[in-house]
Amino acid sequence: MKLELQNISKSFGEKQVLKGFSFTAESGKAFGLLGRNGAGKTTTIRILMGVFPADGGTILLDGKPIDYGRVSIGYLPEERGLYPKKKILDQLVYFAELKGMKHRDAVSAVDDWLRRLEMAEYRNKRLDTLSKGNQQKIQLITALAHDPQILILDEPFSGLDPVNAMMLEDVVKEEIARGKIVIFSSHQMNYIEEFCDSIAILNGGVAVLQGDLRELKRSRAKDVLVVRSPQRERILADFAGSAKPGESDTLLIRLPAPEKKQAVMSRLAARYDVDEIKVFEPSLNDIFVEYAGEQA
Amino acid sequence: MKQFGTILKFELQYYAKNKVFVGVTVFLVALIAVAMFFPRLASLFVSEGQEATVSEDRPVLLVCAEDPSLEALASPAFSAAFPGYEVQPADEAAVRERVGSGEAECGFVLDSLTSYTYYVNNLTMYDSNTAAADEALRTVYRLSAMEQHGIDAQEAQQILSAPVSHSVENLGADQTKSFFYTYIMIFALYMVILLYGQMVATNVATEKSSRAMEVLITSAKPVAMMFGKVISSCLAGLTQLLCVFGTALLCYRLTSSDWDGNPIVSSLFGIPPYLLGYMLLFFLLGFLLYAFLFGAVGSTATKLEDINTSVMPITLVFVLAFLVVLPAMTSGTVDSPLMIVCSFLPFTSPMAMFTRIAMSTVPVWEIVLSVAILAASVAGIGVLSAKIYRAGVLLYGSAPKIKDIFRMLRRA
Repeated sequence: MKLELQNISKSFGEKQVLKGFSFTAESGKAFGLLGRNGAGKTTTIRILMGVFPADGGTILLDGKPIDYGRVSIGYLPEERGLYPKKKILDQLVYFAELKGMKHRDAVSAVDDWLRRLEMAEYRNKRLDTLSKGNQQKIQLITALAHDPQILILDEPFSGLDPVNAMMLEDVVKEEIARGKIVIFSSHQMNYIEEFCDSIAILNGGVAVLQGDLRELKRSRAKDVLVVRSPQRERILADFAGSAKPGESDTLLIRLPAPEKKQAVMSRLAARYDVDEIKVFEPSLNDIFVEYAGEQA
Repeated sequence: MKQFGTILKFELQYYAKNKVFVGVTVFLVALIAVAMFFPRLASLFVSEGQEATVSEDRPVLLVCAEDPSLEALASPAFSAAFPGYEVQPADEAAVRERVGSGEAECGFVLDSLTSYTYYVNNLTMYDSNTAAADEALRTVYRLSAMEQHGIDAQEAQQILSAPVSHSVENLGADQTKSFFYTYIMIFALYMVILLYGQMVATNVATEKSSRAMEVLITSAKPVAMMFGKVISSCLAGLTQLLCVFGTALLCYRLTSSDWDGNPIVSSLFGIPPYLLGYMLLFFLLGFLLYAFLFGAVGSTATKLEDINTSVMPITLVFVLAFLVVLPAMTSGTVDSPLMIVCSFLPFTSPMAMFTRIAMSTVPVWEIVLSVAILAASVAGIGVLSAKIYRAGVLLYGSAPKIKDIFRMLRRA
């Protein structure tokens, strides 16, 4: 399966939130939808789920306009919350039935997931008797119980302890392996780097960067060197204009061009007492800050 | 449609498991049962002897007449006109003192048969003593005047109390009978719409404030959600009414002999079946109309605390409708121009038209037109509310102004 959002635009009153945003997500792979707070991620997700229509653009599933009557979507919203005063089983079955499951199937699917997430003992408890992390696991079941083709997880790891986070990681990896389209939205870049094959960074209503995550990292211009040296201050003075302090006592030196890498490295090694020189490889965090940092 | 069924079932379970709802229903049913059996229960406790003692403690009524012949005429007349009082003669000073101290309830100081002063300590709203005294004195005056003209006392009495017989041939509704059940039905409609409307609004706002809405809105169609909620609350309200009225009817069947002497209770249960049908029709349509609005307003509130102020305009319209219908009903002028207009306006017609049907004779075309307008409004407002709901449930922060709601509607 292949999900394509093409040229989506959406305004609320005067405010234009999306200005022709496009991305493609494929089954069996996780897609990372990134952007700062208020960039339009939730709006994109709601349009994708058909909560409200886009002002312009199309959503295609396998090349055809998406038919909400036939495709099933599971959604874990960033704003968590279910019915605090109701029995856990009752409300999970209710949500599964709303998604089109028969009562009997819904009960057995919910029970399976409660066992899988080690929550079976809370089956007949009220939701508000659970801790926040456990409530989040319950909410995750509303997204998974009906076995959706498309799974949208908005900040799925926030608030989980490391054991629960690992359990969720396993679940997500399983779902990806089972051929689901998984769309991730998170500010925890380490999780995006771990799961997502491709990403899109949303800024100013358009995708400022998108594609295969490894390619994106690899194709970045290799024009910055990371230098560790006891003569840090001297190098900074000598390379004034192109050098700046980096993290943990390192220096970052921007090259005039990537081809000059060898020449500058030799010069540094010959003139200064240098402990380490390497080409700077940006983390997703660096890429995110670079592309999403300034409001376009 | 399947979603609607799921939502309806879930919401009905909410009412069935709600302790307050079940408790209130049980309480009302018990209250009605006790009320209906009250005469039978009361008769068990009241013995003959207690009844006899009641008459000994009669309030004192003083009559003062300077002229002994006036006194001789007036005293028996007052004794006859005020059977609940002990009539005692007194002079004017004693009347003032004893009435002022509360020893006597009231006093009459007579100047002649056609003029007197009434003394009372606290004049109540319902004091009809002067009217009774007027009538008694007038009769005495006429009798004595006739005797002076040579007509003997017995003949004069016959002339004055000549009986007139009449029979009533009513071709339309009988307001003396219909008033009480119309009153109760209008009141039931009023209470149920306000209580359940508020419940629908709170229910929607709770889902929104607990953020369950985030999942709901992506799982179910807003129209299915709105209709599921409103219709389930309508069914719950109807069930509650049926329980209460059903209990009343059942108890009346069991105790009807105790109520023979009570025209109000007998007329209440003598309600014609066709009126019950109209009652049900206007109850359903009126309930749906208001419940949709309450639901839509509930969806625009972010916090539960906002609900009370948000629903105020709707409550106000509804209370106004009630205030138009109630005076018309109590004064019997149910076909006034205002009532006729109100019986076609969708927000007032459930109460106004029902009152007119029950207490007057309304042409069939008027009823059909009123129901058609109401039904069309219910459908229109239902769809409109679902649109407000869809836009409203995802809005957080300050509650939207009316202007914003209209803008949302245009876009929806």
